Amino acid sequence: MTSTTTGRARHTVAPSRAGLRWDRFGLPSLLLAPLLAVVLGVVGYPIVRTVWLSFHEGEYLMTGAFNGVDNYTEIFGDPYFLAALLRTTIFAVVCVVSTLLISLAIALVLDAGSWVARIVTVVVLLPWAMPRVASGIIFKWMFNDQYGIANWLLVSLGFEQFKGYAWFNDGFASLVAITIAVVWHSVPFIAISMLAGLRATRGEVLEAARVDGAGFYQQLLRVRLPMMKPLLVILGVMSTIFAYQSFDHFLVMTTPPGGPSHSTEVLSLLTWLQAFTVLDQGVAAAMAVVTFVLLAAITAIYVKLSKEGA
Amino acid sequence: MTRKLIVYPAMAVICLVALFPFFWMIITSLKPDTEIFTVTPQFIPHEPILSRYTELFSGAIPRQFLNSLLVAGATTVVTGLIALLAGYALARFDIPMKRYLLIVILSIQMLPQTVLVIPLFTVLRTTDLLGTYQGLVLSHLALTVGLATYMLRSFFMDIPVSLEESAMVDGASRMKAVRLVVFPLVWPGLAASSIYGFITSWNELMFSATYMQQSSRETLPVALQQFFSSYYSDWGGVMAASVIFTIPVVVFFLLVQKRLMQGMVAGAVKG
Repeated sequence: MTSTTTGRARHTVAPSRAGLRWDRFGLPSLLLAPLLAVVLGVVGYPIVRTVWLSFHEGEYLMTGAFNGVDNYTEIFGDPYFLAALLRTTIFAVVCVVSTLLISLAIALVLDAGSWVARIVTVVVLLPWAMPRVASGIIFKWMFNDQYGIANWLLVSLGFEQFKGYAWFNDGFASLVAITIAVVWHSVPFIAISMLAGLRATRGEVLEAARVDGAGFYQQLLRVRLPMMKPLLVILGVMSTIFAYQSFDHFLVMTTPPGGPSHSTEVLSLLTWLQAFTVLDQGVAAAMAVVTFVLLAAITAIYVKLSKEGA
Repeated sequence: MTRKLIVYPAMAVICLVALFPFFWMIITSLKPDTEIFTVTPQFIPHEPILSRYTELFSGAIPRQFLNSLLVAGATTVVTGLIALLAGYALARFDIPMKRYLLIVILSIQMLPQTVLVIPLFTVLRTTDLLGTYQGLVLSHLALTVGLATYMLRSFFMDIPVSLEESAMVDGASRMKAVRLVVFPLVWPGLAASSIYGFITSWNELMFSATYMQQSSRETLPVALQQFFSSYYSDWGGVMAASVIFTIPVVVFFLLVQKRLMQGMVAGAVKG
């Protein structure tokens, strides 16, 4: 086999001399062409187009005249948008922190690694498969004021004030119920990824720490979590983006969407309503661009933090 | 021993929390109204009924179910094909600017959907694809190809190059070597990215609600969301519709969960 590999091709298959050019340029381009077509057509173009639209008038989903930064001055002067921006950020922080902590706890429990743990691992991932629309509906039913199981449980535990408590009549209480539904849905993926990360930290270093007498928490905080830092950063970014993008649960669980009286409006829902209910795509595009820039900035901060500590 | 005393009860709690919403959805769908609307919940229906399901099946649900199946199926197949080809190319060839290409592919996953939803609406409207299966599949590809390609690339990288080389030394063309030697080994990766694509497409609401609303081709998430807002107090019916909506993904998931876990583990560990 070594006779066929030329000096430069260590990870690639060495082509015959005649097919060299085809193999180095033609074939890979051909293989990548469909992906590039999709990436440019349904991702690249829309991004450029959204940025472009955000500087134009756009009533009734028709592109109008260039209007400079009018759309941006409009949204940053709009108290509902600013409230939604703040609300989404707080919601995201609560979601990310609880998702990461719960996921870590679950991963540590499953790290025990018996056959029982293997079955539980599958069970843990199951909520990820449930459609978000369905889980939103189910959680809304569980938080029903008269017949919901959540109120029944709370009253049985002695919290009498929850008898007939209407979660969705109030913005804050709605957000609590929605947060629970969203975290229930986002934990599985993160927990299983963390489990994989924890398993990968087993080995000589951990063994050395154990021999040196490190306890469970010392092993976790001083050895395993630092080793998992790159993964934790990725999971942090992912769950932040999940949370900022939450749409389905809000559309299903609040009536009218974003209500009562705008108290549960978040960025994605507000943007969508602005585009397809208010029918002003210029302003909606500006909102989308703000979200995009915000998420890019958050991602950059995460990446920077992960590099500094390492 | 003390460790087990913590771990097993904790596992029980985890299972309870993970499974209860599924259980409650199914139970509620089987209860007559008199048993649903009780202040003290009934955990087991006394007189289970199936009439909600027969009612749903005589309505628009079968059609919407097929619509969803068609869209999610097509998205899965197309995603798999694109990711298979691109994943192989990214694993095996020295492509100029490969690093940046990989970053772009991964960052697609991070895009807010609201950035895409407006221009895609215009694109679909001008190409007459608004409200068609092809249009919705196209929009779903934006959500699936990035991670699927990345997953498959990591699976290809796990397969030693020497396998292909020895097949080629034995006189096989690259295509033949790949088809006979590499593809059989990359099946788990294809399964993992397929289930990912299927679940993403099946569950997707924002694009579906925007592009398929006024159409007999509307998919289940849209139908369920509309059903829910119009039959607000019919909790039993809504739960039955949710069960129908949930079953296919859960079944598909259970069938390939092992592969999926491998795919996710590969993604997580290699980052």
